[in-house]
Parts: sequence; C-alpha cells; structure tokens
Amino acid sequence: MSLQTIYVMPLVFSAMISAALAWYTWRHRQTAGAKSFSFLLLVLFEWGTAYILQLISTDLEIKTFWNKVTYLGVVMTPGMWLIFALEYTGRKNWVTRSRIFLLFVMPLITTIVIWTNEAHHLFWTTAEIYRVSDLVLQKSSNGLWFWVHAAYSYVLILAGTVLIVRALLRWPAQYRRQMAWILFAVAAPWLANAITVFDLLPVLIDLTPFAFTVTGVGMAVALFRHRLLDLEPIARDLVIEGMKDGMIVLDASNRIVDLNQAAQNILDLSGEQKPVGKQLADVLARWPQLVERYRDVPEAQDEITLGEGEAQRWYELTLSPLHGQQKQRVGRLVIMRDITDRKLSEEKVRQLSRAVESSPTSIVITNTDGNIQYVNPKFTQVTGYSFEEVLGKNPNMLKTDQTPAETHRQMWETISSGCEWRGEFCNRKKNGELYWELASISPIEDAAGKITHYVAVKEDITERKRTERLLQESEIRFRQIVENASDFIYRTDVEGYFTYANPSALHIMGFSDEKEVLGKHYLDMTTPEARHRMKRTYQRQYLSKTPNTYDEFPAATADGREIWFGQNVQLLMDGDKVMGFQVLARDITAIKQAQEALRISYDQAMEASRAKSQLLAKVSHELRTPLGGILGYAELLQNGTFGPLHETQMKAADEILQSSHYLNMMVNELLDEAQIQANTATLQENCFSPAVLLQQATSGMEIMAERKGLEFTSSIDPKLPKELYGDDHRLRQILINLIGNAIKFTKKGSVHVSLQSPDAGHWIMQVTDTGIGVPNEAHSSIFEPFKQADNAITRENRGIGLGLSICKQLVELMGGRIVLESQVGVGSTFTILLPIMKKPA
Amino acid sequence: MAKPLIIIIEDDPTLNEIFTITLTSDFETETYTEGETALARLAEVIPALVVLDLHLPGTPGREILSKIRADDRLANTRVILATADERQANLLYDRADMVLLKPISPGQLKDLAKRLCTDF
Repeated sequence: MSLQTIYVMPLVFSAMISAALAWYTWRHRQTAGAKSFSFLLLVLFEWGTAYILQLISTDLEIKTFWNKVTYLGVVMTPGMWLIFALEYTGRKNWVTRSRIFLLFVMPLITTIVIWTNEAHHLFWTTAEIYRVSDLVLQKSSNGLWFWVHAAYSYVLILAGTVLIVRALLRWPAQYRRQMAWILFAVAAPWLANAITVFDLLPVLIDLTPFAFTVTGVGMAVALFRHRLLDLEPIARDLVIEGMKDGMIVLDASNRIVDLNQAAQNILDLSGEQKPVGKQLADVLARWPQLVERYRDVPEAQDEITLGEGEAQRWYELTLSPLHGQQKQRVGRLVIMRDITDRKLSEEKVRQLSRAVESSPTSIVITNTDGNIQYVNPKFTQVTGYSFEEVLGKNPNMLKTDQTPAETHRQMWETISSGCEWRGEFCNRKKNGELYWELASISPIEDAAGKITHYVAVKEDITERKRTERLLQESEIRFRQIVENASDFIYRTDVEGYFTYANPSALHIMGFSDEKEVLGKHYLDMTTPEARHRMKRTYQRQYLSKTPNTYDEFPAATADGREIWFGQNVQLLMDGDKVMGFQVLARDITAIKQAQEALRISYDQAMEASRAKSQLLAKVSHELRTPLGGILGYAELLQNGTFGPLHETQMKAADEILQSSHYLNMMVNELLDEAQIQANTATLQENCFSPAVLLQQATSGMEIMAERKGLEFTSSIDPKLPKELYGDDHRLRQILINLIGNAIKFTKKGSVHVSLQSPDAGHWIMQVTDTGIGVPNEAHSSIFEPFKQADNAITRENRGIGLGLSICKQLVELMGGRIVLESQVGVGSTFTILLPIMKKPA
Repeated sequence: MAKPLIIIIEDDPTLNEIFTITLTSDFETETYTEGETALARLAEVIPALVVLDLHLPGTPGREILSKIRADDRLANTRVILATADERQANLLYDRADMVLLKPISPGQLKDLAKRLCTDF
C-alpha cells in the first residue's frame, strides 16, 4: 500500500465522521453547546478535507493553496472551541454577537495575512516540497504572524480547556466521561499540531490527520456511548429545572452532585453559582440540626420548617437512596416540597374545628339525607346524646309535637332549595326533658355548587321561651284586669293624644273600638269650660315632674249626660324624660252629688246651728239681763244703798238675793248644757300658762275655803310644760267647779289642787279633799246630769247637779277623762286626764 | 279733787240704773244706751273707765271697743266689758281690762272700778 493511502484513508474516514457528526449535532442543536459543537465539527471537517487535498496535490502552489485553505479551519477552531466550552458549561450569556465578532477579529486578520503571505511572508517565510516515498510533503518555516496566531490560538484553546476542566470537576459523574472524551477528542489534533509545529517528534508528516481520526472516534464514542446530545438530558434538564419541588442529588459522601433551581431558591442560594461539588453540610450551614438529623439516614419522609417568623415555610422532605448499575448505594436524592400553603390551610381548619368544638351553640352537620355526620360537644351537653349515639341518625329523633309540623316541612323546603332557614324547635333531651332552641340551618355546597351537607347552629332558648311565656301570661292577666275594670284606664303620649283606652273608657267616650280613640286628645274628654283648668293641671304636672296627681273634672258623655270624673294621673317616665301619661279615672258623679248634698246639709246644719247659737245668745241675753236687774237691785237693797233696812226687810232682801243667785246659776248651767247638747259648744284653742290657769281658778276659791276653816293648797308639777294649748276658759270653769264641790262637801280638813305631768303626752288637773266622800254606788251616776249623790249636804246646797255632767262632757270633748276616787268619810279625789294638744302649725 | 269719770254704755235701762247707783258715790258717771253717742262724748272727754256692754243696738259693742282702743287719747282709759255672751267675752278677753259676765254683782263692779281707777 502506498504511504499516501495510509495517510489519506484515516483522514477521509475521520472527515466523514466529522461531517456526519456535524450534521447529527445540528439536528440536536437545542442542547446547550450543540450548535457551537456542530460548527466546531464542521470546521474540523473543513480542516481535514482541505488537508487531504493538500496531501494529494503534488504541486507546491496547489499544496500551498490547500494549506491556506486548511488554515481557514485552523484559525476558526480555537474560537469555536471556546464558544462551545462556554455554551456547554452554561455560560451561554457570554456568547453575544459582539463578542463572537471580537473573538474572530484575530482569526480574520490571520486569514488575510495568510492569503497575502506572498506579499510580506509574515506567516510563512519559506516553503518547499519534499518527498517521502510517494508522499509529497510540504515544509515551511514560520513567520512572525504565525507565532502570533499560534499564541492567540493556544490562549483560546487553553481558556476553553480550563472551562471544561473546571466544569468537569463539578459535574456529576455521568457527564464527566462525556467531557473527558470531548476534551481528548479536541485536544488530540492540537497535540499533534503542536508536535508537528515544534518538531517535537521525529515524524515526517503531520500527525494532525491521525489526531482527527482520534477526534472523530472520540466524538463518536462520546456521542453514542455516553449519549452526548441526547434529548433526554434536555428533557431531564427542563423537567428538573422547571420543577417546583427542590431536588438535590447527594453522593455517598454527602456532596451535592446536582441541585435544581427550586432547591437553590428554597435554600436561599439563588444568587450564587450552583453549589455543585460542595458538601451538603456547608451549604446547609444555617440549619445544622437538619444536617445532623439526616446525615446518615438513607430513607425518610418528614416535615421540616425553614426560616423564621414571617418567612417561615414548611416543606415535606423526602430522602431516597440512589443505586448505581451494580445496585450499590451511590448517593441520595433529596426532594423538598413546599407545603406551607397546605400547612396554613391545615392550621386554619384546625382553628375552625376548635371554634366549632368549643362553640357555645350546638352544631350539627348532616348529609343531604339528613343523617348526622357530626355534632359538637355543646350538642352532647345540651341533649345528653353522645356523638356515637347520634351518628348516622336523623335529627328528627329529637323532635316533639310541640313544634308544629309545618315548621319542619318548611325548613326542609327552604334548605333543600339552597337557602338558609331560621326558626324555633321544641326538642326532647335524652332524659326526656323538653327544651327550646333557635336554629339556623344552611346548606353546604361543594365547589360545583351542589349541596353536600347541611349545618345547623342551634342556640338554647328554653329559658328565654319560659320567660316569654310567663310574661305573656302575666300580660294576659293584667290585660284582663285593665280591660274588665269598671274604672276608666287610658294612656296618652306626651302631647296628650290617646295611645290606649280600656273598654270602660271607650264606652264612656262613646267609642266602640280602640282604634277610634287613637289620635283623639285628652282635653276632648272634658267640657269646654273645664279644658283650661285641665290643661293647666297637667302642664304643671309635666313641668314639675310630679309622679302622681289627683284632680276632678266635669265631662260630657257620649249620650249627653254630664258626669264628673276624678282621675289619678301618673307620669310615664323613661329615665328622666316624660314619655306619656297613664290615667285611672272614675265616675264620681254620684259621689259629687252626695258631696253636694252633704255640703247642703252641712250648710243647713251650720245655718241651723248658727241660728241656734244666735237663739241661745239671745236667750242668754234675755235671761241674764233681767237677772242682772234683780240681782243688782237686790244687792243694792241689801247693802243699804237705798237706806237702812230693818230685820224683816233685810231677810227679805237676803231671800231675794239667794234665790236670784240660785236662779243665775241655774240659768248658767242650763245655757251651758243647751250649748253642749246643741253641739254648738266650740272649744277655744289658745296658748295658756297652766300656772296662770291654776292661779286664776284658785284665787277666788281660796277665800271660800278659808272662810270654812279648811286648809287650801295647790301645787304644780315642774315637769309640766310652761305653755299648754287648749280652751283655758272652760278648763278654768271645770277646775272652779271641782274646787267648789270640794269645798262644799268638806266640813273640815283640806282641799288640795294640783296640776301634774304623768307622761309626755298628757297632763292632769286634780282636786283632792278630806270631805264626806262619795258612796261607791254613786261613783258613776254623779256624772250624769240632774243627778246628785243623795245626801244631806247636797240637800242643803240645792243645785240641779249640772256641774259635774257638764264637766265630764267638756272634758270628753277635749279628748280627756275624768276619774273619781272616793271613800265615804275619808275624802275624794277628782282627777282629770287630758291629752297635751299641739298647737297647730 | 274731782271724781274720776266713768262712761257706762249699756242698752238696758235697769242695769244702767243699777250701775249708776253703784258707782255714783265714788265716781262721776255718764250713761249711754248706744255706742255712737257714747263715742261722740268720748271725743270730748277722757274717762278713767268705760263700762261697755257688748250687746248694743246699732254699732256693736265690739266695734266700739275697737274704736276706743284705736284712740290714743284714751290709752289710759280702762275698759270693763259687760256681756251675757260668753263666747264674745272669750274673744275679746285681751282687748279689755276686765270682762264681767252678766249678771254683774254691783259690789264686784264697785270693787273692780275702784281698783282699776286707783292710778288714774
């Protein structure tokens, strides 16, 4: 075989591979770096193809031409390589149009230099042909620009290589092999080129072509064995990066092999580079307790929280082991799903559940058939049925016939049509007790609007119902009283318009219905003449806020009669404000008529009494005046005014005088008695001093007693008030009467007069004597008019015995009592007990 | 010395007679049977004592008493009321110096008059 064939065949072969790969890669150009890889391969293909043509040409000029052509590919390769490296290592954003342009400025210049080399020989200085067997080879010495180009190219290649090597170190195992092959594949030609250029190996020909073969093979391997540019990584990428759940792949020593964007966000690492290759512990330095907990745990499913306070989020953590091809544990997969929302919902549900559980109202949930699915503790508390006991049963089991059947039916109708129903039930507890509840039942719908459950919220209103009933009964009771009262009962508002009138009131005003009276004014009730007074009375009551007044008014009834009514008016208050009037009125016509009759008879009586008084006064005067004449002259006669009298004449005068005195006394007593009997004796009421009274009564009598040789004493109790109130004139008369009697009926001994104070409300006038006394039988009768104790002295002292009876009557008129204690032969004590009168204010 | 003057106002002539006889030894007396003339006289003289009957024709005794008491000139004049009317007597008790209920004892009257007029 010819040398040429040996060289050319591999070259053709690898060129074909390059071409095929280029085409294949272009087909899959969605992958990161696929496009640039395709171009790279294309360039290599160009280079290879041109080199083949260079090799087989024999002419130096043609050879040179094809050499230049190879350099088209040669100058592009570093740039392409770098671009590919950038794209493949995820720096696609670096690769902008302007940068690509910049990158290829140099190659462009080099190309120009190469194609104008004849002019300046900057690239190649010399060129010559030489043969090795049948191979025609070219040998050139390199010019300045060659080295510039070489430097530039090697820099780019280095850059690309570095990128890829760095990535290699970080990338998961599955990609590394791929990268290594690519690296090797691409480095090979350059290695060869370098050997050739620097004459590193004593090789005649350019090794580069073989390197191309290697390249091609390497590519193929990377492609088909390691599935370079396979769609699956793309899809997987998309899936993994696009996943909401955070995914972290850990190797056996807890280093992060891979993690997706979501994981980065969760761990708050989105700013930085993917922490691939770092220790998990380092990345999760913020949560050492998590790292600890799951350090060696192969499999787990837990809920964890990350973050604090507002930023706290919940995650469902799933750890699963990863197994390699040989079923060995190569690492772990960590999935973190954000369940914060779920957790919040759960919490909310928990709160609501708690609310339902601890609600002070009973809550019952039934399904659409009405069977109980849930009851809260309050329900159990109220009814006595436990949850287990009522589960699946219908709430109808509680119902009683106290609740009208209509209520249940209406309720079902309402709620099954999707509306809320409110109403009252009377239900029975487990222990048989009845209770009332106010229920609010509503349907629960699912998202599609279909009713799935009914919820009933029920409040125990038994107490309230009971109170209502009592109130109702009470109201009926009172209403009956008011409605049936014969008195007029009515109410008005604050302006005086009727708000209510009971049947009696309605009747008297001529209305038959309560409605007729509303709007009428109270002043309409009375006669026009009395309206002014009525209005004034109630205005005054309203202004002075007097709670109760009584007044009387005339009225004209519906049938024209004139009646009088007396009404009690009460103010209806709301706090401090007058809201209206409440009136209880009565027909007092009869009473008024009686009063009128009474007044007439009183007036008549007064008139009669006045007439009587006048008569008595007249009689008194008519009797006393002539008496005065008789007594006067008799006295004058007796004391010698008309000249001396001889014995018979004196005797006559004495007789006249005596009889006249007696007559005078009789007249006095008769007139007194007449006054008392006619009830026209009016007691005077003055302030007087008891001391003065005593003194006035005794001063006259003292002499009389002394004349009879009796001891006469008087005393006054110091406790007695200094001033008393009453008819002192009469009291004096009484006292004089008693003292007179005492003196009269005492032959020897003493007479004692005293005024005493037995207690705070009474006082006593007392006359004690050592006279003949009064026999027991006569104790009461001596106070009767015209009666005297029958004895010698009285016979001597002829009197018609009016004195004591008049005294007794007068004393009794004053509200007092007269008492006699007496013993025949020892003496008597007459005691007059009188109430202490208060001076009217 | 002149005897003090007593004006007697009493409608009953018998009693007038008796009063005059009783008092004439110690006093000058003038009698009137009704009030107005007595008042006219009182305008001229200042008696030591007036004996006044309440039961008078024309102007009632009560009024005469008021008029007497209203007159400053008669401030020192004593008044004895003579009346059969007990009630009126009670009412006027404090306006007069003394009230005597009829029938009046001449002796009593004389004593009283003397006592009342001692300081005149």
